[in-house]
Amino acid sequence: MPKEAGAPTGRLQVRIKRSAEESQERFEVERFPAMTVLDVLLAVQREHDPSIGFRFSCRVAMCGTCTLRVDGRSVLACQALVQDHAREIEIAPMAGYPVVRDLVVDMAPFWEQWSRITPYLDPKESLDEPAVVRPDSEEREAIDPSLDCIQCGACYSSCGVSGQHKTFLGPAALTRAMVLINDSRDAAGRTRLDVVSGQDGADRCHLIYGCTGVCPKGLDPARAIRRVRTGRVEDR
Amino acid sequence: MTTTAAYDEVFTDVAIVGSGGAGLMAVLHAHAADPDLDITVISKGAVGRSGCTRMVQGGYNAVLSPMDSIANHFDDTLDGGKYLNNQDLAWTLVNDAPKVIHELETKVGCFFDRADDGTIKQKAFAGQSFDRTVHRGDLTGIEIMARLRDQMFRVRPRELEDVRGLDLIRAADGSVAGLTCLNIKNGKFVVVRARVVVIATGGAATMYKIAAPSREKTGDGVAMCVRAGLAVRDMEMMQFHPTGLLVGKARMTGAVLEEGLRGAGAHLLNAHGERYMTKYDPVRMERSTRDVVSRSSYMEIMAGRGTDMGGVLIDISHLGSAEVEKRFPGMVARTRQIGSDLATGPVEVSPTAHFHMGGAIIDPDCRTAVEGLLVAGEDAGGVHGANRLGGNGVAESTVFGCRAGDTAAVVARTREHPEIDIADVERAMAIAAAPLDRPEGILPFELTTRLKNVMWEHCGVVRNAEGLAAAIREIDTLEEQLALVSVPGPAAFNPAWNEALDLQNQLSVAKIIVRTAALRTETRGAHARSDFPERDDSEWLKYLVATQTVDGSIDITERPVEFSRSARPAPEEAEVEQP
Repeated sequence: MPKEAGAPTGRLQVRIKRSAEESQERFEVERFPAMTVLDVLLAVQREHDPSIGFRFSCRVAMCGTCTLRVDGRSVLACQALVQDHAREIEIAPMAGYPVVRDLVVDMAPFWEQWSRITPYLDPKESLDEPAVVRPDSEEREAIDPSLDCIQCGACYSSCGVSGQHKTFLGPAALTRAMVLINDSRDAAGRTRLDVVSGQDGADRCHLIYGCTGVCPKGLDPARAIRRVRTGRVEDR
Repeated sequence: MTTTAAYDEVFTDVAIVGSGGAGLMAVLHAHAADPDLDITVISKGAVGRSGCTRMVQGGYNAVLSPMDSIANHFDDTLDGGKYLNNQDLAWTLVNDAPKVIHELETKVGCFFDRADDGTIKQKAFAGQSFDRTVHRGDLTGIEIMARLRDQMFRVRPRELEDVRGLDLIRAADGSVAGLTCLNIKNGKFVVVRARVVVIATGGAATMYKIAAPSREKTGDGVAMCVRAGLAVRDMEMMQFHPTGLLVGKARMTGAVLEEGLRGAGAHLLNAHGERYMTKYDPVRMERSTRDVVSRSSYMEIMAGRGTDMGGVLIDISHLGSAEVEKRFPGMVARTRQIGSDLATGPVEVSPTAHFHMGGAIIDPDCRTAVEGLLVAGEDAGGVHGANRLGGNGVAESTVFGCRAGDTAAVVARTREHPEIDIADVERAMAIAAAPLDRPEGILPFELTTRLKNVMWEHCGVVRNAEGLAAAIREIDTLEEQLALVSVPGPAAFNPAWNEALDLQNQLSVAKIIVRTAALRTETRGAHARSDFPERDDSEWLKYLVATQTVDGSIDITERPVEFSRSARPAPEEAEVEQP
């Protein structure tokens, strides 16, 4: 239950980048406790402009489809709370993707990189039964901290290298590659290692940690990229 | 007509509507059975990311241990479903679930949590005689759907993303010929011509004021089937999950705190700090089934023992904060975001509309009465009877998704693309375009709010004849007002227009829910009547089958449950004190 005492009340100024407008549009909405940026957008839609374009699905940080920028920072709209001290916020679409309309972007560049690392398991022929893998094994200790990626694209939106070099595999795909490369059930590790050590791969990362800073699931793609450089657990 | 002048046309062998667990498993299986098939996935939201399989938290019920048995899982499923289940479908579910877990682990690439010895770990859920719930942390749906989404890069179906199905197209002989769709992204209509259509869009629980599912789940698939004249069953059975978050006006309200909390020993408390389940189910307590726990919470709240916000409290902090953080990191994060903390104290919750047990009538291979039309997952009815067990939902969607894919591959090879009547197609498009073409009128949002309120108030956790009659009247009024809805342009990515289309589907489903609820004069599973508080096995081991006639009225008939695989239930005591 949101704490009533000291809960922010009053009005919030909202500036939204619209695709049809040259400049931002301004709206004003009533604040309420535990208000997220998604709540702000729904209020704008219902009270001011029903045609405003934005995307969301689950509203609990699992689908990863409501990513946008708030005051320049890539966030999930459903997870980003309106800060107590904020009087005004600025909402814009993610960076690095073509805008479909208003806050909706085309995620094709993300999936293009994702597909290059062969993102699906290529099961070994011997994998007849669910693998027996102890949770304290070196393999799982490498993989487990990098699970739960929701493909929201925030890491690309905030990665300086992805922004400049459209061919860079980028933080999410490299993280997924690291997971599969260390997965003892998978047969395509070497092919993937070639891709991630190629010119668009891990060595392009400048370790700016923009990805790690914004990941809404608290993952550390920069660490996963360092890890992918060290090769497979299986080969050691 | 501004918007229907032109449309795109797609020819495909198998059109799969929905991209959750059922839809994408159907893609995998249709492709595996016949790699030459042209497969099209039609998804209202992002492929593999929208919908509710993605939102699965707790996990997946499957018999994996030699100490457990298929018969146990079957008995639990019937007992939980209060014997209204179609027993052949329930049997199919429990038999196939272990195979599908096997496939998810060895083919799809999912990796579920392991026990210390390295084998798949299974945890406790409510209403089960054995700890059989497979999971990946407390956000299992991400692992299942992200890996299924990855598989699409191998199989490469045609993905119509941000494209919503509108209505089925029937050929002159009555068989299915495809469906009309709207491309949300550019506002253009699409006619998909298919040899086989698989409906797998998920349920309709969003029509309640407090509701758990993702935005897309507005009964689209069932509404399409109903409008095409298909028979649906168990429509009065809407499940309320006992522990939905209460966060005031925030959209987070209704989001579920997972069942595993109760499985792990969480207490439910009323505002006086009393563990009220001692009164309602002293044996199973908080681990009783969802119908019983939701109804118990509801009665505490109605008796004035609820919190100020109209909820009750869930408390698992007695396990110690470190343990709670380790076992339920996703749930802890969710509560901290709203200013409370599951790891250290109680959190305010309410029953929340969660899952629709009702849906289209299918056989175990997902066939319907219409040739070429298959239905899988939450859009189908009968698997869960009057109440679904936690962990049987994602099992249903994936098990029957696989079966629909297998069947689709077979049926596609027996059919040509039927001829269609363009007049039918244009009529469907004109109806869909009407809110955008209408120069003035009312916005849909207010009508949606009214629907959610009336369903919550009069067709919710506990119902009665008077309230249901009021609900029928209000829904009929809303249907009339739907004809006045007008939304401003543009046609491309227009959420208001889509809300109007959602509302149309929600009303198609709601009007059957309220009518079947009014007919079932007993309390069974998720359907509780304050005026008929007893379960009546002598009269009501029957399911209700509804069809919409050409003039839009609803025909409802009763059919006896077939005890094809189990004996009739022994008489039992009332589980809940009278509402």
